[in-house]
Amino acid sequence: MSRVSEHFSRSAVVGFAAAVLLTPIAIMAQASPASSTSSSTSERWLHVRVTSTDSKNETVRVNVPLEMAEKVLPAINKDRLHNGKVKFDDHDMNGVDVKALLDAVRSSKDGEYVTVQGADSDVRVAKLNGYMYVHVTEKNSHDSEKHAKGSEKNRVEVKVPMKVVDALFSAGKDELDVLAALRALSTHGDTELVSVKSDDNTVRVWLDSRNISD
Amino acid sequence: MIIAAKLALGLASTMVFATVYTFHEGVIRVDVDEHHYGGSHVHIWVPAAAVPMAMHFVPKEHLRDASNHAAEFMPLVQIAASELRRYPNTTFVDVEDGKDQVRVRTVGSKLQIDVLNAEEDVHVAVPLSTINDVAHQLASECADGPAI
Repeated sequence: MSRVSEHFSRSAVVGFAAAVLLTPIAIMAQASPASSTSSSTSERWLHVRVTSTDSKNETVRVNVPLEMAEKVLPAINKDRLHNGKVKFDDHDMNGVDVKALLDAVRSSKDGEYVTVQGADSDVRVAKLNGYMYVHVTEKNSHDSEKHAKGSEKNRVEVKVPMKVVDALFSAGKDELDVLAALRALSTHGDTELVSVKSDDNTVRVWLDSRNISD
Repeated sequence: MIIAAKLALGLASTMVFATVYTFHEGVIRVDVDEHHYGGSHVHIWVPAAAVPMAMHFVPKEHLRDASNHAAEFMPLVQIAASELRRYPNTTFVDVEDGKDQVRVRTVGSKLQIDVLNAEEDVHVAVPLSTINDVAHQLASECADGPAI
């Protein structure tokens, strides 16, 4: 065997052995989960958590990065949702001109606009520090069994930045621009958007920069 | 002797590189474990790279039919699959109801769906790149138009 071919064979065997030894490591590295954290500080996450207080203690947790939602939403074209916009007609709004209503609220000073104190529920709509608040408190549950408990109330609290409301109604007269609303939402800091507390369930929708719900 | 050694080396190298190529996109994993007595336990590991290749052997008319049915959702799947790669190790949906649990999450570069209940446990893990490749292939099939 010549020196050249001996040297070549030895190098090839060493190279081959190294490849064989490293292959499982490469495959394992491919298969193993990445250890990096998935959320950078600039990312905004929309979280939804529904907790049922029944015996099974049902819990639903949804975590969606807003940036992903902004890209995915225009790809959903189904029924009334097209290109990130939802179409509605006057019938859906019971003849209320929501745009005109919002224009009036936007141009007005901070304050409480609607206060309804009824026998069954209290409704409060207010604008304060760039946010629109809608609070509904149901005084008594109609369910007789729950009614017997007496003290429990259903409470809905919605807090939406005015910029998001503006963006939502920035499209045509009969459209809701959900995509624009998401974009406007992504510029906001940590915010609790919706909170519902009823006899059976608790619902929370909030925005923060963490990729996990608490 | 030298020639035999070289042939063996060439063959072994080819096998190693074929293995590396086959597994370079990871594996699709399907695990089904039924909890009842005599229940089946199915564990399937398929190289992800094999799926787009296998799709070439699917009869065109079937592929076109499937792509026509799925055409509406293909852009969504493609965007979602490519976007999900940016969020490794993240739980997107987690539903717990007593002993039942459904979880949709990313584990590394894979999309993993876990369904756990009293009767059976099902785990499906698919590399996101495979979802993207399949969606691309289906979309291109759809774009090619009807079979002649």
